[in-house]
Amino acid sequence: MVAEGKAQETAVVAQPPRIRRLNIIGRRNLFFAFSLLIIIPGIFSMWRNGFLLGIDFAGGTEFTVTFANHPSLAQVESAVAAENLNGSVIETSGGGYIVRYPPLNAASQVSVQHDLENRLGPMKVDQILEVGGTIAGESIEFSLLAVVAASVAILGLLAWRFHNVPGGWRAGFQFGGSALLALLHDVFILTGIFSILGKVFDLRIGEIDAFFVTAVLTVVGFSVHDTIVVFDRIRENLRVSQRLSFEQVVNLSIMQTAARSIITSFTVVLVLAAIFISGGETLKGLSLALLIGIISGTYSSIFNAAPLLVVWRRLQPLR
Amino acid sequence: MQLVLSWPIRLFIVAVLVFSLFVDGAGYVYRIANHLPLTGNVAGLPPNFGGWQLYFHRGLDLAGGTHIDYQLTNFPAGQSRADVQQRTIAVINKRVNSLNVSEPEIRGAGSNYDRITVDLAGVNAEQAQKTLGAVSKLVYTKWVADTKITNGPQAGYKPALTGLTGDDISSATATIDSTGTSWVVNITFTSSGATKFDNLTRDNVAACPGDVNASLAANCAQRHLAIWLDLTQTDIDHWEDPSYVSKVSSPYDAGCLASQTPDKVCGKLLTDPITREEIAGGNAQISGSFTQQSANDLATGINSGSLPVDLVALDVTQVSATLGAESVKLSLAAGLLGLAIVVLFMIIYYRVPGLLASLALLFYAGAVLAVFKVLPVTLTLAGITGFILSVGMAVDANVLIFERFKEEVRAGRTITAAVDAAVRRAWPAIRDSNTSTFITCVILGFIGPSAVKGFAITLGIGVVASLISSIVVTHNLLAIVLTAGGFRRPALLGVDRVRAV
Repeated sequence: MVAEGKAQETAVVAQPPRIRRLNIIGRRNLFFAFSLLIIIPGIFSMWRNGFLLGIDFAGGTEFTVTFANHPSLAQVESAVAAENLNGSVIETSGGGYIVRYPPLNAASQVSVQHDLENRLGPMKVDQILEVGGTIAGESIEFSLLAVVAASVAILGLLAWRFHNVPGGWRAGFQFGGSALLALLHDVFILTGIFSILGKVFDLRIGEIDAFFVTAVLTVVGFSVHDTIVVFDRIRENLRVSQRLSFEQVVNLSIMQTAARSIITSFTVVLVLAAIFISGGETLKGLSLALLIGIISGTYSSIFNAAPLLVVWRRLQPLR
Repeated sequence: MQLVLSWPIRLFIVAVLVFSLFVDGAGYVYRIANHLPLTGNVAGLPPNFGGWQLYFHRGLDLAGGTHIDYQLTNFPAGQSRADVQQRTIAVINKRVNSLNVSEPEIRGAGSNYDRITVDLAGVNAEQAQKTLGAVSKLVYTKWVADTKITNGPQAGYKPALTGLTGDDISSATATIDSTGTSWVVNITFTSSGATKFDNLTRDNVAACPGDVNASLAANCAQRHLAIWLDLTQTDIDHWEDPSYVSKVSSPYDAGCLASQTPDKVCGKLLTDPITREEIAGGNAQISGSFTQQSANDLATGINSGSLPVDLVALDVTQVSATLGAESVKLSLAAGLLGLAIVVLFMIIYYRVPGLLASLALLFYAGAVLAVFKVLPVTLTLAGITGFILSVGMAVDANVLIFERFKEEVRAGRTITAAVDAAVRRAWPAIRDSNTSTFITCVILGFIGPSAVKGFAITLGIGVVASLISSIVVTHNLLAIVLTAGGFRRPALLGVDRVRAV
């Protein structure tokens, strides 16, 4: 359908007048340091505290209910405590409550509902979720597997796509590997911040569930999008401007694509912010995760991925 | 390049547009023309192709209902696990039918045929679990003379438990008999069951000897063995009460048993066939005037009383219809708001090209929604999120092309050459980035947990559609509109200056 640019065409490398020539490659250590500043506390929190697990991963029975008599949080909590079933209560924004128990069988689900009605008056059950230990374990397993499989596939795809730059497959793996590192950067930023939100600040929005896994994988997709755009420009510039050093080519390519990366991310951030503010309870955590991830992905594709490629190229020079 | 801008491609785009408009909009035109409400079910609503009606299939989190994952445990040795799973699914299907659910979904799952997933719209979890998880116990009874009995399957006789139960049956299947004309039900007994059945049939024949067609044997109650589900000794103790007998001897009623209250009597009889001869070896055949349907029903009934496996509910999700409707409203609002923001931003920042891209975006959204209806894709909350995100990806391809377009114009190309070069040079990045997202979607579609699968499917469809819309539709619109001289003004194109042609 559309062929790649042919060699005899005139190259377009003229600089846009409004963008100043920032030296991103020269200040790369500063940008790496900024990333580590967020990643290290996140990893520490994940290692020390783990995550606040949602019901998908922790297992258990969860009722989302609204009471006709609008009891206070304290009243609901004492009623649940009186049941001696290790239940816990969370208030939702709509005036309802989420009550969680360890896994209950069908009969005790019914008796728990009757019990709550006896103590707190008539209630409407909006949702019952029951996740047994087997399914919870599988969800964690599948999620990890999905992230790892997606990462490997992306590394392979990029190595293949970029093995036609000078340097062959080794160069291909440098491109693919740098993109993978930038991607892991985003995954760690996102999971780290959620670990801190959930465990250090005890916020329910920091809960990890199947939706969070969806968010992580979307972020992976977007981050790779941004990185590919920069790398694609590097590939093109390597071909057409052979007078420049590798570092200069990379810096030029970053500057040429930065506007596009920021604009795209900005539109997505606008959409996500709209969902975060107006969306329902279920979508809040998802949109926050995506917001953090997309911003991190844009940052990493501009300030980490291509600079990492330069560092790698210095450690493993290809003619 | 020539191909993308050729007339066949343009005709194809117009055809897709017309088809999408029809699939998305025909229903609303019909509703308005006939003064029907804009939401809710309408029978025969277009788009409708010869009874195949197109509409959005909503997942349980949007429609409300119950989802249960069952684990099958205690598989019997020596039976094909796939077979056992199929039989269990048939039994669950039968039980679900008694609930009157529209479009129940019952699927086998699990790596080793050990899972069954059930989706029931509009049913609460308590009712669903009671009906599906009910353990029916199959019993065989013989008939014992009792003059006080006035009605029932055999007047003057009451049933007596024989000790032959569902545990003694390994399977029942409906098939066509050796003559190839009539439906029969074959029952296979376990080895201990075979012995018990042999003894019972021998007693049958001994009680009323002779050919079953001769009147002596044909009218002999003791030549019969009845098969019941959940018949208990308590039921038998009530046999002198005629109204009780007529109720309990009516055909087995799963729905009634699921909602049973202590004083309610439900039908429990599966069949009461006559024994033709002593049957040794553990293979029996029930014949009669069966249709395919009634033979299948009887086989499933026998299987449900003799399920060789136990059903354990691994997880149960119940979503109320009001919460589902609320979720639909919220995600619709979020989607429309997102689309409006993107369109506004694109027009302000990119002027005429932005407007064209917005048109391409609307085309894209309409086409994808039509695909969701046609395939059909079951929409869930996660699925809608995937769709909204794919809108973002569709914009991305356009932004790439437009940024490149500005660069080419600045570098001194004419408008036409710049459009051409922009699309061609942006293509490798668009192709590679969308490929990577698509690969991620495929992986998630195969190994993700179920909520993630819905997301992967809609995002994957969206990525493919956005690729077509951004490259083919946007490019064509740019080529058509920008060749009209009036648009070649820098202010309309969002660039500083334009080289004269």
